[in-house]
Amino acid sequence: MSTQPVSLSRDLTIKQVMRAELGDVDMAVWRSASGVVSAWENRCPHRGMRLSHGFVRGESLACAYHGWHYNCAGACHYIPAHPELAPPKTIKANAYNIAEASGIIWVNATGNVAPIDIPSSTVPVRSIPIACPVESALNGFSKHTHQSLLTQHTQAEIIADTPYVLALTPVGSNSVGVYIAFQHVNDSTTVAHITATDNASMNDVVALSRWANEVRDITEFSAGVSE
Amino acid sequence: MSFTLHDYVLSGNCYKVRLLAQLLEVSYTINPVDFHPGKAHKSPSFLALNPHGTLPVLESGDTVLTDSAAMLVWIAQQHDKQHTWWPINDAECLAMTVQWLGFSSQLTESIGQLRLHTMLNRPADAETLRRQSIRHLRELENHLTEQSIRGQAFLCGKQPTVADIACFAYTALSPDAGLEHTLYPGIRGWLHRIRCLEGFLTMPGIYEAHETRNEHTAAS
Ligand SMILES: N[C@@H](CCC(=O)N[C@@H](CS)C(=O)NCC(=O)O)C(=O)O
Ligand code: FES
Repeated sequence: MSTQPVSLSRDLTIKQVMRAELGDVDMAVWRSASGVVSAWENRCPHRGMRLSHGFVRGESLACAYHGWHYNCAGACHYIPAHPELAPPKTIKANAYNIAEASGIIWVNATGNVAPIDIPSSTVPVRSIPIACPVESALNGFSKHTHQSLLTQHTQAEIIADTPYVLALTPVGSNSVGVYIAFQHVNDSTTVAHITATDNASMNDVVALSRWANEVRDITEFSAGVSE
Repeated sequence: MSFTLHDYVLSGNCYKVRLLAQLLEVSYTINPVDFHPGKAHKSPSFLALNPHGTLPVLESGDTVLTDSAAMLVWIAQQHDKQHTWWPINDAECLAMTVQWLGFSSQLTESIGQLRLHTMLNRPADAETLRRQSIRHLRELENHLTEQSIRGQAFLCGKQPTVADIACFAYTALSPDAGLEHTLYPGIRGWLHRIRCLEGFLTMPGIYEAHETRNEHTAAS
């Protein structure tokens, strides 16, 4: 498995926990009070409860079931039923490699994480799920222009293919460019993580958010699914 | 004015009223109704009180309300002296609040019905309800995404209104209907902010944001 985007940095605020799926890999992604992001197998080492149901306590993630606490290194350091006990070092959450770069959280469940270098500084737009395979989503976002921002004169370029990252660059100085990193959830679900170049105004970002929704509808319609 | 709430603990519409009352520190009396399996809300005596045969019902003196949105307005108008929950001094925000209250009753018809089907085996066209529910979640996600881009944390502005409470219940309960929040980051953040409100109340399926509680363990 390759490096994959799982969230925009904006959408995982401190003390939040989320679930993310990459094929068969089910993970809990969380941000500690001081801002450290971790991605773990979504399974508590105690009895297998999903860690994405847990809650953040300072620099630890506490399991929702019996409250075992795991620190940012994944080590269990506190068991509420046995407060005096120092838990054995072997009790550890299964952690994946993670990196935060270009406003996106990237994970590799099986190897080293290699975030895609998005050339310029960016502002977050949104992460939007599309009920179709990643190639159809890529195709949809390459083709559909926006009347004022991403016009017919926009150049669409795939700047990475594992994972896919699409750069949409309109012709003309000062125009707003868009980067889209595609998360392969499974063969029928793709999430497009969308950012824009930092010259985008708030109204531009709102317009891009609406554009993404339209592209999703059109793409799902032509793929024969409509949710 | 104090009131009696004819209530069922697992009902999302009843929960809306309990939640707002708790947030505004309003005390009231609960009359538990045996909705399931007793179907007490379809009994002749209950139908005499509420001809629709639905829960919740709010009773206060001669006032009888049978719609949860009306109850939220009734409570907020009397108990929120700042007029933020029912924003009568802001035309734009008030209109938005009414609009999203309307949307909240659509959520009862989609996610609420799908949840009854999933949890209590109510006969229903599950596939149609599932599609409608996803459409509604997407509509909410689109709006909340735009709100947060504009720096507005809640449905109608920077402050929560009764519409947030009304839409919160079935959105938060959607996993009971088999619809998780994983792919809806805007909804996830908004649910989290509501759960962090001072005085937040839980129900089965909706838990508090423990992380805001005082840390009473030795950990960290
Ligand atoms: N418009 C009403 C609808 C209330 C409603 O549908 N309540 C459900 C329970 S959450 C109910 O009583 N349904 C009747 C039934 O399913 O038998 C409100 O918002 O209060
Ligand atoms: S299953 Fe997680 S603490 Fe028991």
